[in-house]
Amino acid sequence: MASIVRPTMLRQTCLKVATKRAFSTKPTSSFPAINKPASVLSRKTVRSAFVKDALPGSMRVAAFHASGRRPILPALPQEINGTANDAAPVPTPSPTHGSYHWTFERLVSAGLIPLTIAPFAAGSLNPATDAILCGAILIHSHIGFEATITDYIPKKRLPKTRKLFDWGLKLATVVVGVGLYEFETNDVGLTEAIKRIWTA
Amino acid sequence: MAALRSSSRLFTAARPVFRTQLRAFASVSDTHSTSSPVPPSQTSTVKEPAADPDAKIKTFHIYRWNPDTPSEKPRMQSYTLDLKKTGPMMLDALIRIKNEVDPTLTFRRSCREGICGSCAMNIDGVNTLACLCRIPTDTTKESKIYPLPHTYVVKDVVPDLTQFYKQYKSIKPYLQHSAPAPNGKEYLQSKEERKKLDGLYECILCACCSTSCPSYWWNSEEYLGPAVLLQSYRWIADSRDEKKEERKAALDNSMSLYRCHTILNCSRTCPKGLNPGLAIAEIKKEMAF
Amino acid sequence: MLAQRATQQSLRRLVASRPTLASQMVSRKFAAPMAVMGSSLTYRPVATQNLTPKDSYEILVAQRKNRPTSPHLTIYKPQVPWILSGLNRITGEILSGAVYIFGSAYLIAPLMGWHLDSASMAAAFASWPVLAKIGTKLFFAFPFTFHTINGLRHLSWDLGRTFKNATVIKTGWTVVGLSTASALALALLV
Repeated sequence: MASIVRPTMLRQTCLKVATKRAFSTKPTSSFPAINKPASVLSRKTVRSAFVKDALPGSMRVAAFHASGRRPILPALPQEINGTANDAAPVPTPSPTHGSYHWTFERLVSAGLIPLTIAPFAAGSLNPATDAILCGAILIHSHIGFEATITDYIPKKRLPKTRKLFDWGLKLATVVVGVGLYEFETNDVGLTEAIKRIWTA
Repeated sequence: MAALRSSSRLFTAARPVFRTQLRAFASVSDTHSTSSPVPPSQTSTVKEPAADPDAKIKTFHIYRWNPDTPSEKPRMQSYTLDLKKTGPMMLDALIRIKNEVDPTLTFRRSCREGICGSCAMNIDGVNTLACLCRIPTDTTKESKIYPLPHTYVVKDVVPDLTQFYKQYKSIKPYLQHSAPAPNGKEYLQSKEERKKLDGLYECILCACCSTSCPSYWWNSEEYLGPAVLLQSYRWIADSRDEKKEERKAALDNSMSLYRCHTILNCSRTCPKGLNPGLAIAEIKKEMAF
Repeated sequence: MLAQRATQQSLRRLVASRPTLASQMVSRKFAAPMAVMGSSLTYRPVATQNLTPKDSYEILVAQRKNRPTSPHLTIYKPQVPWILSGLNRITGEILSGAVYIFGSAYLIAPLMGWHLDSASMAAAFASWPVLAKIGTKLFFAFPFTFHTINGLRHLSWDLGRTFKNATVIKTGWTVVGLSTASALALALLV
C-alpha cells in the first residue's frame, strides 16, 4: 500500500511545485550567474520540502568520494573553444611523429624478439648482435618513455614540465647510450653479463 | 468561428435533454435506496494489500550532482526497487525511479531500443546503453550507475559531449567527391566495396567506447578517441570517397590517432558489438605500409 | 483545437449559469486551466526576461566551469584488456628503468668508486641469501617474460588480427599463465 500511496503523494507535491514554477518563466532562476537571492531561497525551500516527501528513510545519501587521496592531475574546469558547431582543430601533418614513427617502433619491437631470445638460446657471444641488441633496447626504451611522457604530461597544460621531461629523456638516453657503449667495449657484453649474474 | 458558435448553441439547446436523462437514472437508483444496505457481516472484507513476501528488492546507487548547487560535492544516492514491479532493463529501473520515487533524477533517454545512444552511462563499472543492459537479477549485489567516465557532468548522469561532437565534425563525416556521378544519379559501389563498411556504419556515436579509453581520459583535447576514429575509417574505407589521402594526413601526427595503444576497452564495451579497436588498427596499417 | 475551444466555451457558460459550482471547481482541480483561460478570473503576473544569444552563451560558459569530472579509473570494472595493457606499460617501465639506471650508473661508476663490472656484480649477487636472490630474479624475470609475450599480442593486433573480444580475453589469460610460469622457471630453475 505504501508503495502505491507514495507516488500519488509525490505527484501532488509535484503538481504544487509545477504550478508554482509554471508561472515564473524566468529563464534565469536555474543559473547562478544572474540569480536573485529571493528566487534561490524559494527554490531551496521547495526542494527541501520535496525531498522530505520524496525521499523516505529507506534511501540513504552517501557523500561521494572519487578517490581518497588527492588526484595527481585533476581535470581543469571545462572550457570549450568556439561554439558547439565549430569543428575541433586539425593539427598539421607530421609523419615523423605519426606514421613513420609508429612503423619504426613496430619494426624495432618485432626485431627485439629474435634479438633477445637468440643469444640465450644459441649461447653465442657475437659482439655484433649484442651491440645491435643494446641499440634496439635503447631505442625501444626511449620510445616507450616518450609515449609515457606524451600520455601523462599534457603539452598545453604543463608546457614547462613537458619540455623538461622531453629534454631530460633525450639527455638520459644519450648518457645511457654512452654508458652501454662503455660496458660493451670494456666488459663481457650485455647478454653474457646477465647470464653470469643470473647463474651466480 | 461561426460554426463554433452554432455548435455551442446546439449544446445549450441540448442541455435540458441531458437533465431529464439524468433524472431518469436517478429515479432508477431511488428504488434501490429505499431498502436498507446489506450488513457488513454478509459482505466480504477488502484488506489493504499485504507487503509482497517474495519481493525482489534491489539497491541501485546512482551518481548525483546538481548544477543549481554547484558547491555541493557529487554524491551517490541509493534507491531500492522491487524487481518484480520493474521492467527487465536498467533504463526501466531508472524510469521507474524517476516516475515513482524521485523525479529530480536526471538522465538522457529516447528510443529505449539501443538505436539513439542517449542513455549511454557507466553501469556496474562498464560503459553501456541503459536500455540494452539487463538488470542483474542477483539482489544481493548492488548496482552502481555513474555518468560516462572522465566527462564533464551537466547533471546527475548526463555528461557533456560537446568536445566529442566537435571532434566528430573535424573528421568531415560526409562523402567528399569532386565530380558529379558518372551516371548522373548516384555513386555506385560493388557488393565487395559495400561490405567493407559493415561494422562501421552501424555506429550510433553513443560515446561509450571513447569514454572507456584511458588514453582518451587523459588526452581528450587532442586524441580523437575510438568512436571518432572508427567514423574516420568509415570514410577512409568508403570506395566512393575521393579524399582518402587528406583524411589520412589529418590523422598523421602524434596525438590524433597514435595515442591509441590498443588497450581495447573500446571493443570490449561497445553496446552495438562493433570493434573500434580493429578499425583503428586498419587505419594504422593503411598509413604504415 | 476546435474541440478545445468548444469545451472552454461550454465550461464558461456552465460557470456563468451556476456560480457556486464554479467557485468549487476553481478551488479544486480546474484552477490551472481557468487561470489561463479566465476572462472573468484573475491573471497571475508572469515575468519574462529576454536574453541575447551572447548573454545565454556566457551563462553556459559560467556553468561549464562548475561542472565536476565524472569518476573514471577508480570505478571502471577491472577487465583483462585494460589491466594487462597497464601492466604492459608498467613492466616496460621497470625493465627500461633498470637499463637506464644501470647504463648511467656504469658511466659514472669510476667517478663514484662503484664496482659495476660484470665479475664483481656476479660475485656480489652470489653472496646474497637465497630468498633475496629469488626475489630479485622474480622482480626482473616476470616483467621481462610478461612484456615479451604480451608484446607479441600487441604486434598481432598491429597486424589487424585477434581482435575479437573472446580472443582478446583468451590470449590475455594465456599471456598471464605463460609469463608467470616462465618467470618462475627462470627464477627457480636457471
